[in-house]
Amino acid sequence: MVYPNGTVALSRVNLSVESGSVHGLVGANGAGKSTLLKIISGAISPTEGRILWQGKHVSWNGPGDAISAGISCVYQHTPLVPTMSVIDNIFLSHRNNFFWAPDSQLKAFEELCELTGYWIDPWAYINELDLGERQMVAIFQAMSTRPKLLILDEATASLSIKERSLIHRTIRNVVSSGGTAVLFVSHLLDEVKDISDSITVLRDGQVVLSGSNSEIDETKLIAAIVGEQPNVNLVGNLFTSNSNQSQEVALEVKNLRSPNNVDNVSLTIHQGEIVGLAGLLGSGRSEILHAIFGSDRQAHGIASVYGRRVHRTPRSMIRAGVVLIPEDRNKAGLISTWEIWRNISLGFISEYARFGLFLDSDTEIRLAQEKIAQLAIKAQSVDTHVDELSGGNAQKVLIAKWLDDKARVLLMDEPTIGVDIGTKKEIQRLIRRLASRGKAILLVDSELDELLKLADRILVVRHGRIVAERISAQTSVEELVSLASGL
Amino acid sequence: MIRTNDLRAFAGAFRLQRAGIIYALILLIIVFQILTSAYGLPAFTTVANLRNLFDQTALDGVLVISMTTLLITGNFDLSIGATAGLAGATALIVANTTNQIFGGLAALGVGIGIGLINGLIVQLVGINAFIVTLGTLTAVQGFLLIATSDKTVLARHAAFQSFGIQNWTLPQPVAIILGIALLAYSMYLTFKVFKQTSVVIEQIGIAITSFIFGLILLAIGTAFTGLLTETTETWIMIAYMAVAGAIMRYTVIGRRLYATGGNPEAARLSGININVYKIAPFVVCSMSAGLAGLMYAGKFGAVTPTSLVNEELPVLAAAILGGTSLFGGSGYIVKSVIGALILSTLVDGFNLLNLNANYQYVIQGAVIIGAATIYTVGMYRRRVSKRKLHEAEAKAVTLENIRQR
Repeated sequence: MVYPNGTVALSRVNLSVESGSVHGLVGANGAGKSTLLKIISGAISPTEGRILWQGKHVSWNGPGDAISAGISCVYQHTPLVPTMSVIDNIFLSHRNNFFWAPDSQLKAFEELCELTGYWIDPWAYINELDLGERQMVAIFQAMSTRPKLLILDEATASLSIKERSLIHRTIRNVVSSGGTAVLFVSHLLDEVKDISDSITVLRDGQVVLSGSNSEIDETKLIAAIVGEQPNVNLVGNLFTSNSNQSQEVALEVKNLRSPNNVDNVSLTIHQGEIVGLAGLLGSGRSEILHAIFGSDRQAHGIASVYGRRVHRTPRSMIRAGVVLIPEDRNKAGLISTWEIWRNISLGFISEYARFGLFLDSDTEIRLAQEKIAQLAIKAQSVDTHVDELSGGNAQKVLIAKWLDDKARVLLMDEPTIGVDIGTKKEIQRLIRRLASRGKAILLVDSELDELLKLADRILVVRHGRIVAERISAQTSVEELVSLASGL
Repeated sequence: MIRTNDLRAFAGAFRLQRAGIIYALILLIIVFQILTSAYGLPAFTTVANLRNLFDQTALDGVLVISMTTLLITGNFDLSIGATAGLAGATALIVANTTNQIFGGLAALGVGIGIGLINGLIVQLVGINAFIVTLGTLTAVQGFLLIATSDKTVLARHAAFQSFGIQNWTLPQPVAIILGIALLAYSMYLTFKVFKQTSVVIEQIGIAITSFIFGLILLAIGTAFTGLLTETTETWIMIAYMAVAGAIMRYTVIGRRLYATGGNPEAARLSGININVYKIAPFVVCSMSAGLAGLMYAGKFGAVTPTSLVNEELPVLAAAILGGTSLFGGSGYIVKSVIGALILSTLVDGFNLLNLNANYQYVIQGAVIIGAATIYTVGMYRRRVSKRKLHEAEAKAVTLENIRQR
C-alpha cells in the first residue's frame, strides 16, 4: 500500500484469517495495522494485491460493501449517537425494516445479551454511560449484524480487566458458536496471547512474524515488534522499590462523599509516594480523583495539602499544587485547536504571565520547547496543533502541561491509555522519576499488573469505597482482582 | 540564517484562509475605485467618503467586537439589536427628564442587566444561547415598544444632539510616532521569530498586523492627513478595538476566554472558573449594545422603536466574515471589525454606483457564504495534508527510535 504522498504503509503483506478462529494482529504505532484494517474493511483500496473473501476474489468499493459481505469493526472509540438509547444505537444501521420494530429489536437485543453474557439497560441513553459501557454497546452494534468477520481494533484499550475478560468471553462465544472469524488488534500483548489462535506481527509495513499462538512465546513476540533483541527493561520488572519516599504527608483527604459514586473515602499520600487506585470499571476510581480535585461539584469532604486545608475547587487545588490529568485527553484534557505550547502553558498560565496578567509568550514557548525535549515528544515544532499528534504524543503533552515545580501532588487517571508500548514505558519511567523527585502521585490504571509494578501502595476501590489497602510488594494481581470484585 | 521552515510559516500567515479578509477588503476598494472612475461618478477613495465609511461602520464595529468575544467563548447573542434600541431609548428618556450623564449610565445599565439575564440563564440553568437570546430579543423589543409608547423619542439635550456628529482630530505627530512605533515593534518581532529555534505562527501574525497598521498610520500621518479627523463614533470603535484586541491577545483573561470556548471541560480542569468566563462576555456584549444604543441616539438625536431591529444579523455576518468560529475557541477582534468594514464598503460602493439597494442584500449574502466556504474548505484541506505529513514523520522518528534502542 503506497499513499499518494509516497509513504509506503504496507508492503507485500499476507494475512489470512480462518473462520472459527481468533487472529491476533500486533505491532508498534505506525507499523501499518490501521492501514491494513482500512483495506480489509473497505475504507481504502490497496495499490497492489488482492483480497480473497470466503475463497472468492473481491474488491470493496467502500465500507458499505464490506459490511454487507459480513465484516464488522469495533474501534477504541466507536462513534455512537449520545442522545439516543442503547437499543437505538445498536440497530442504527439496520435498514431492512423501514419502520422501527421495537419488539423484534428487543428480542434481538436479548439474544445479544445472551451471547455476550452482558446485560445493560436497553433504554439508557449513551451519554449516561461510561467509557466501558459505551464500548460494550459498540460491540453489540457490531455483533447485531451477525458478521462473519469481526474486527476489534484496540477495542479493549479503554476497558478494565473485568470488562476485558467479558469481551474475551464474548469473542470465544462468537467464535465457537460457529463460523465467525475474529481479527483482534491490541497493544496489550498478554491479552493477545490469551485469546488468539494465531498471531501476526507487523513492523515497518511488513509481516515479520506469523504463526500459531502456541509456537510464539512472549519474548519472541516483543522481539518481533521492537525489531531486535528486546531490551531487558521492556520485559523484566522495570522498577525497583522506591526509597525516596518520605514520611511527610502531601495530600490528606477525609470523609469524601459524592452522589457520583464516592462513599466516605479517606486517604493519605506521602511525599514521593505512588498510590494506586485499583478497581473494576465503574467502581468509582476516577470519581474519587474528581472529588478530591473539586471538579465534581457535588462532592463533600476535607482535603489538605502539606498540612494546610484547601478549598476543593480546581482553582484552589491547582494553586495549592494539586493537579489532575484526566482520562479522556481529547474531551477533558487538551484544547485540540491549540498548538502544543499554548496547551502546555495553560495549566499555570497566570504564574507564567507578568504581574499574573500580561502574557509572556517567550517564556511559554521556551517552557514548551524544554518539555518537548524532556519528554521526547515527536512533533514538528511547538507550533504543531495537538490534534495532529499521535495518541502517545498527545498524552505526553497532557502530562507536560502539569510538569512544573508548582505541581506537588499529581492525580493521574489512566496516564497510559491508548498509547503504544514504547510510549507507555516512557510514561511509566517518568512517573517513577517524578515520585523520586518528591511528587506525590495518586494513580488510576486499569491494567493491574502495570499498577502493581508502578505503585508503592494500592488502595482497592469497590462501589466508591476503599475496601482494602495493600503494599504492592506483598500482593498480586489475582488478590487485587478478587478484592475489587468482592469475591 | 533563514531556514525554509520559517519561510514556510511566514508564507502560511499570508494564506487565503488567514489573511483572505484583508485581500477581500483591498480587492473591493480597488473594484469600486475602478468602477466609479469608469462611470465618471464621484470617486470611492476620497477623504469624505472614507470618513463616511468609517462612521457607517462604527456602530456595527462596536457590536461585532464584543460579539466576537462572546463567540470565542462558544456562545452567541441574538438580542443585541433590541438591547441597543432599548438602551438608546432609555438614554434619551432619562436624559430628557434628568441629565445626559444619567442618560448614558441608564443605557449601560440596561445593557448590563440584559446581559446578566442572558448569561445567568445560559450558563447556570443550561439553556442554549440561541433560545435564551431569542427570548430576550422578543421580550426586550416588547419593552422598547412599551417604553416609547410606539413613538419616536427625540433628544432634548444638546449633548445628544451633537455628540455623534462631532469630529476629533488626532495630532499629526502622534500618528507618525505611533506608526513608527508599530513598525519598529513588527521588525522586532520578525527579528525575534527568525532568531528562535522554532517559529510560532502567532508572533508572525502579530508582526504582520502591526506592520500593516503601522504603515496605515504613517501614511495617514504624512500623506493623507485629512483622515486624521474622524467622528466620535469612529474613534470610539477604534479605541474599543485596540483595548479589546489587546486584552484578547496579550492578557491571561484573553487566553482563558479562548480556552473556555475551545474546550470548556479542559478549561475547567485547568482551574479556570468557567462560570465567570462564560457569563462575563454576555454582560460585556449587552453593555456594548448599550453603548451602541447611545451612539445611535447621539448620532441621530432620536430613537424609533424599530431603528436597531435586526442589527444582530449584520453583526453576526461580520464576525463570520472575519473568520470567527460559531463553535467557539477561535476568532480575532480585528478581523471581525474588517468584516464589518467590508459589509459597509459594499453598501457604500453600491450607493456610489447608484445601484438598486436591494441587490446589496443578495451580494452580501453571497459574500458571507463564500467566505465561510473558504474558511471551511481551507481548514479541512490543511488538516488532512498536515496530518498525513505528521503521520509519516512521526513514523520515521519512532522507527528510528526503536532501532536505536
